Amino acid sequence: MEPELVVPTMEAIRRWSGVAVPNAAARQGLADMVGIIAEVEKVRAAMVFEDEPSSFEAALRDLKEPAR
Amino acid sequence: MNAPVASDLAELSLTEAADAFARGEVKAEALVRACLARIDAHDSKINAVIRLDREAALETAVAMDKARAAGVRLGPLAGVPMMHKDMYYRAGKVSTCGSKIRRDFVPEVTATVLQRLDASGAIDMGTLNMAEFAQNPTGHNAHFGDCHNPWSLAYCTGGSSSGSGAGVAARFFYAALGSDTGGSIRLPATICGVTGLKGTQTRVSRHGVMPLSFSCDNVGPLVRTARDAARFFTATAGQDPKDPTSSDEPVPDYEEALTGDLRGLSIAVCETYFFDGADAPVVAAFEAALETLKARGARISRIAAPSLAAVNAYTAIISRVEGAAIHANWMREHAADYAVHLSARLFGGYAFPAHYYVEALSRRGPLLRQFVAEALTGHDLVATPTLRTRVPSLAETDVDADPANWSRFMAVSANTRPFNYLGLPAISVPCGFDDRGLPIGLQLAGRPFAEPTALRAADAYQRETDWHRRSPALAG
Repeated sequence: MEPELVVPTMEAIRRWSGVAVPNAAARQGLADMVGIIAEVEKVRAAMVFEDEPSSFEAALRDLKEPAR
Repeated sequence: MNAPVASDLAELSLTEAADAFARGEVKAEALVRACLARIDAHDSKINAVIRLDREAALETAVAMDKARAAGVRLGPLAGVPMMHKDMYYRAGKVSTCGSKIRRDFVPEVTATVLQRLDASGAIDMGTLNMAEFAQNPTGHNAHFGDCHNPWSLAYCTGGSSSGSGAGVAARFFYAALGSDTGGSIRLPATICGVTGLKGTQTRVSRHGVMPLSFSCDNVGPLVRTARDAARFFTATAGQDPKDPTSSDEPVPDYEEALTGDLRGLSIAVCETYFFDGADAPVVAAFEAALETLKARGARISRIAAPSLAAVNAYTAIISRVEGAAIHANWMREHAADYAVHLSARLFGGYAFPAHYYVEALSRRGPLLRQFVAEALTGHDLVATPTLRTRVPSLAETDVDADPANWSRFMAVSANTRPFNYLGLPAISVPCGFDDRGLPIGLQLAGRPFAEPTALRAADAYQRETDWHRRSPALAG
């Protein structure tokens, strides 16, 4: 049975992005979002106030291999 | 070294071919003709090539031979024929991106990486098959036809750089650019039995390269040997004003790192995650590879893998949201022009709440620090199988023919994807064959900008083994 999130998600995508569901596989893909949401739920609490995208480039620089 | 005879030429590695040309032992024209002969004989079965610039390549080669004879100083890749994944833009030349939508697209710019290869003397012979818009890990392509594994035609090549992996393995050319957003260099490298290097995120310019997921896209080579990868990377890495994300870290001569000596090098093996569901022949080949590295002086440590749950969850969000954004116009107006699996995947990308996308980007730095602390503190490299399972067939990973294949399809990139989110350099080298005669690969990943260390270990391994020297027996 199709999860109840599928139809409202299709409608939200159409409304926000103007993209219609292209095929049955895409509709099935939305059904699989239930699993992805569960994965994200598990890590939801990790984000802290100071986290921001540029911390990645800073980490690349900070963690580089020490010169030999 | 004796001058190579014509029938041997296609079997040379990139560095062997370049060095033979530089010494005057072989002409560039002969190298191009050797490659063309291989393509003419075998590409009808492999389907690696999209566009072959035969006459232009021969003209360039002849000009290069004259220049060398005249004593002109040429670059480190001079005389070496290459072909590249059909997503590297060259002004005035069609770049299909493996798609129907861009079948006639003619870019106005030339990719920085192609300009650097040109400046190094490489001969560009044309473009290669790939997954549509670089969006699958198997190499299926509904528009240009699937690319076939040279070791056994019913098996997939790995993707998305399918023609790059298959063509290097089939000895159609000496090197090819691939791109790697979730494993698209390393997967075709391992599955086709060649060497592939994904650098640190920001190491190679993406200017003039088709985007897939800009946060995780990487440019890099598929070649025969680690030494080939080192020379290729020296020629192509480095800051580019046209790609403001490119790193200003100095670019070393990567070949200088290839000492063959692994004494003092520590390699960590994460005992969980990377082996979940692994096939026995893959584990056996991997363990044998560790013994070889140990014999060269490396110390092997078994550790528990850091949790990659967050890495994998965030990777899925970034790649899908960024892909959905850049394809939105075509998804509105030409959705039927995509392969079914691709439009289906892109469609889901519009469903993610925006704050999760920002969270996925924001957590990248902290998760990189955590991974380095847990896996690469006290260790120089992490070793894993590049692909956990034996090479799957084209049929069992064809999700358009049967959606039940979806989990098998997605599992292909399980061991490569985390290093894209983490931005770490990783190389894949051949380390054996399974019971069906398909290749197996060893992946070595290091800290940011540790390409010299990964290349040193890969090169030392290849000094002791001949997996990378083996070539598929192509009938006809």
